Amino acid sequence: MTADPASAERPRDGTAGQHGTTVPVIATTSLTRRFGPAITALDDLTMAVGPGITGLVGANGAGKSTLIKILLGLLPPTSGSARVLGLDTAGHGEEIRALTGYMPEHDCLPPDVTATEFVTHMGRMSGVPPTAAKERAAESLRHVGLYEERYRQIGTYSTGMKQRVKLAQALVGDPRLLLLDEPTNGLDPAGRSAMLDLISRIGGDFGISVVVSSHLLGEIEQICDQLIAIDAGRLLRSATISSFTQASQVLAIEVDDGADVLAAELARRGAEPVRAGRELLVLITGEHTFDMVRDAVATLGLPLTRMEQRRHRVEELFRDSAELAGRLTGAIDGQ
Amino acid sequence: MANDNVAGAGQVAPGAGVIHDIGYQTYEGPRLGRGQIALALCWHSLRSAFGFGRGAKAKIVPVITFVIMCAPAVINAVVMALSRSHARVIDYDTYTGNLRVLVLLVFMAAQAPELVSRDLRSRVLPLYFARPIRRQDYPLAKYAAFTLACLAMIDIPVLLLYIGTILQVHGGAAVWAQTRALVPGLLVGLMWAAVLAAIALALACVSGRRAFSTGSVAIFFFMTWTLENVLTKIGATSGPPGPRGPVGASAAASAEHVSAATHLFGLISPFTVLDGVRQWLGGTSQGIVAAPAGYGVAYGVILLLLLGISLAALVRRYGSVSVA
Repeated sequence: MTADPASAERPRDGTAGQHGTTVPVIATTSLTRRFGPAITALDDLTMAVGPGITGLVGANGAGKSTLIKILLGLLPPTSGSARVLGLDTAGHGEEIRALTGYMPEHDCLPPDVTATEFVTHMGRMSGVPPTAAKERAAESLRHVGLYEERYRQIGTYSTGMKQRVKLAQALVGDPRLLLLDEPTNGLDPAGRSAMLDLISRIGGDFGISVVVSSHLLGEIEQICDQLIAIDAGRLLRSATISSFTQASQVLAIEVDDGADVLAAELARRGAEPVRAGRELLVLITGEHTFDMVRDAVATLGLPLTRMEQRRHRVEELFRDSAELAGRLTGAIDGQ
Repeated sequence: MANDNVAGAGQVAPGAGVIHDIGYQTYEGPRLGRGQIALALCWHSLRSAFGFGRGAKAKIVPVITFVIMCAPAVINAVVMALSRSHARVIDYDTYTGNLRVLVLLVFMAAQAPELVSRDLRSRVLPLYFARPIRRQDYPLAKYAAFTLACLAMIDIPVLLLYIGTILQVHGGAAVWAQTRALVPGLLVGLMWAAVLAAIALALACVSGRRAFSTGSVAIFFFMTWTLENVLTKIGATSGPPGPRGPVGASAAASAEHVSAATHLFGLISPFTVLDGVRQWLGGTSQGIVAAPAGYGVAYGVILLLLLGISLAALVRRYGSVSVA
């Protein structure tokens, strides 16, 4: 327990000591995993994940699944090393898995048992004794928002309810770390925001560190303390959200027509407007940006339909500012 | 609606929501290790082999097969009570060969998929592998569970046979004689269970589709059993030399030749291999296959091969299941 970093973050584990020593929840050093000579799933990945909620961002095939397998101690790295909760994945896989809850991306629920039975059994499989497993299962299902429905067979559940059972089975062993693989997959907008709320509460109120992977960047940025972007197995960028937010505000301007004229006028006034469909996007550099836009629209006498301040999308956080303009267009078009 | 449910809770939550009031309870109790988790999995699987913890429908096949398997023990008790001699009519070590084969065949075909193909079908395995057990623990726990299930199917009726018998024999010596006869019977049951469970699970885990899974178990056991029976019968009918056949020494040679073929046919079906090994190891009761005589070693080797290959296939099958 002495090298347990999570305990430093969780008041309940005061007995574990080591307060003040913030060992990262996850740390990888030059982590590389190859499958045969041709495929490199992870390429010299060095990163650290702190407590709280961390977004793991990457397109499909970026290496997220391989990373999760290595972190769970189920796949040895080709080279480099990884530590989870202060434990080396080589040789401490079982200990790591005892303290880690994992929610896979795909369906993983038997249809013909009740949620209570299933989560209880999964609690047993996490090493919780029989009676405690029943209590933990009820507790976890309550936290994810399943009440009376928990006595129904899982096969009768909606997609949203199934996602919550998957989350409950990850929570049942009272983990220090949760690995959630695309938890909002297949959910409608209301279900997505409910799931994100839930994850946010787990990471905040429950004091469990969470790594949540997603390819939908916009949605995880709402709840994450830290973001890690990987692409083709390499670390694209790792940073805390707050370090970006100040510099990442944009102003979206929509005019009925004359967008081109306005773009020219804004450019003349020193802004770098980016055309995105019907909108013009301008980076907010301070209060004067608003004045400048107002003046430009007024000077040209254009009918202003909408003017909206937005937070930068996560995708843009990981791009060099020099490339911002071009990438911004791509990001918006890509939606 | 599912989603509304959580969304509603989320809206209530700020300030004094229900969820916030209750709070998250951490678990401070003991955490069991890998061995005890595997044991829990084994127990859970054993229960599911008989449909416990599932609906009434899941219990139909196990209950019916078990009742049929017990029938000879009951019949024996009745016959013993009615007859003058009070002699046991069924042997402990063979019980009733053909009935045992058919009942086990149905039981394995119906229940082995229950243990392995359900988890494959619902893709629940990654959840097991993400827990503090190792990969091979899962198939081995399943194997232990199904061995125990088959053992219960075989040996509980044998024990009933024993109880029915000792209630009607008189004197300690007679009870002791029955007990001494019982022990090899139970051990034969263990051998059957250990080998058949491995084969059945290895066949059942090829597919997550229950129909395929059941089909592969049923077809393998039934086809090999039928083939063995048919070939043995052919061997037996063509065996005795006809009137135009040679006489004397050459007739004896011919009979020997036929029985050699019969011994080899007995190696086709796992059931007859098991019975051959029983006789090779000293079992004297009339079984479902001719005593293997000089071929006993072959029966033993085939039995070990069946067990080893099946277990290797089972463990290997789960090595290739992907997690994420």
